[in-house]
Formats: sequence, C-alpha cells, structure tokens
Amino acid sequence: MSQTSIGVVLVVICTLLEGVGQVFLKKSVLGAVRWYLWISFGVVILAVESLIYTNALLFLGVGAAYAISSLSLISITLMSQFLLREKVTRMRWVGVGLIFIGVGLVVART
Amino acid sequence: MEKGHQRVKISPALLLKTHKVIGNKPVSTKRKFSTRLAAGLLIAIVIDTALQLVWKSAVLSLPHDGSLWLNVQAILQNPRFIFVLFLMGCQFFNWLMVLGDADLSYAQPVTSLSYVSVFLLSALYLNEAADVFQIAGIIFVLAGVWFISQTEHLTRAQESKV
Repeated sequence: MSQTSIGVVLVVICTLLEGVGQVFLKKSVLGAVRWYLWISFGVVILAVESLIYTNALLFLGVGAAYAISSLSLISITLMSQFLLREKVTRMRWVGVGLIFIGVGLVVART
Repeated sequence: MEKGHQRVKISPALLLKTHKVIGNKPVSTKRKFSTRLAAGLLIAIVIDTALQLVWKSAVLSLPHDGSLWLNVQAILQNPRFIFVLFLMGCQFFNWLMVLGDADLSYAQPVTSLSYVSVFLLSALYLNEAADVFQIAGIIFVLAGVWFISQTEHLTRAQESKV
C-alpha cells in the first residue's frame, strides 16, 4: 500500500468517525436517558478521529486531506437522515451537494 | 393544480418561519429561528475559522517521521496545540447548544461557511493568491448554505418518529 493510499484510507475513516461522533453528540441533547454516555462516547470518537487525522497528514498533502474530509458532510447528512430520523428534504440535499462541490474546489488547491 | 392546495413560494422569509397551508389559509407554524441559534452558529463559524488557521500552522510544525508517539509528544509540548485544545473546548460546548436548537443535518453544513471566512482571511491577510476555481468554490458554498437555510432547521418530534 502506498503512502498516499494509507493517507486516503485514514482520512476516509475520519469522515465516518466524524459522522458517528456527531450523531452521538446530537443524541445526548435529544433527551436520552443516559445522555452522559452518548456525550462521552462522542468525545472519545472525535478525539480518536483527531489523532488519526493528524497522523494522516503525514502521508497526505493538507489540500488533499481537506478535500477528502469534506466527505464528512455527506456522511453526517446520511447518518442524520437514517440514524437520527431527521427530515432531510431534497432542498437540504441540494445545499449539501453544492457545499460539497464548493469546499472541494476551495481546498483542493490548498 | 388541485383545489385547496396552494404552492408555498420560497422566499427569504422562510428563513424565519415556515408556512403550512391548511385549506386555503396559510397558517404560520412559528418555527422561529432563534437569536440563540443564530449566535451559536456564528460563534461556531468564528471558532472553526480560528481552529483551521491555528491547526494548519501547528500541523506543519510536526516532526515528519510518521511516528504516532512522537506526534503526541510534540502535541503536548507545542503551545499552539494547547490553544487548539482550548478552542476545541469552547467549540464543543457551543456546539452542544447549537445541536439543542437545530438538526445536525442543518447546523453542520452551515458551519461550512468557515471555509469562506478562512479563504477571505487568507486572501486578505496572508496575501494568498485566489484562483478562479476557489472563487467558484466560494460561490458554491454560499449557494449551498442558502439552500440549507431555506429548509426547516429542526425536525418536529412526531416527524422524526417514522
């Protein structure tokens, strides 16, 4: 496995962890009984993500890492829709899509 | 068009409230976009901007040998990382307040506005050259956030229990 592909895999893992961590944080404010557990697990997941991300930057250029990590927008929206049952309308998806393209264009040149 | 069914025109007013059409009468459902939520999103964007700028400079100072342990040591010793941790703490508590008032799928994309602020700050203060792609990207981000802002910011409890 080349250095770049290791970096790409690490950043993709980060985007998934970001989604899961954010879902846990949102769960904690939704009036869950064991809200402190949701918060704790959310924080742990996001902390692990930061460590992996920092390490990924050693294998991958900052610009490429930023561009790939914008995938977390998609993962968070999907998880919000299917795990949190949020009402994600078509208009919200259009917005997410435009932001995703926009962020990609902005950071790819970093 | 079916009688009694009226199309709701999309307008900036929808940012503040939504309308439900029952019969022929539009009924305001008063899903108000609170000042607290607006302030929370703004704070999130400001902290995120600061985080991105400090994070970028801090990461560049890491030893490039790929060792996790050496990186952790460098993180603990670098004052910039301590500042990053402080900002992350502030961001965390502010973010929980924002999530209390808005959907995750609403709040998260809106904070992408920090890319716009980082871009503008870099162009203005770091004299980084902006190319056509980046300017197009900024326009895409702004358009995307506008679309998101047109959607209702919080899913009602009965809607989420599908």
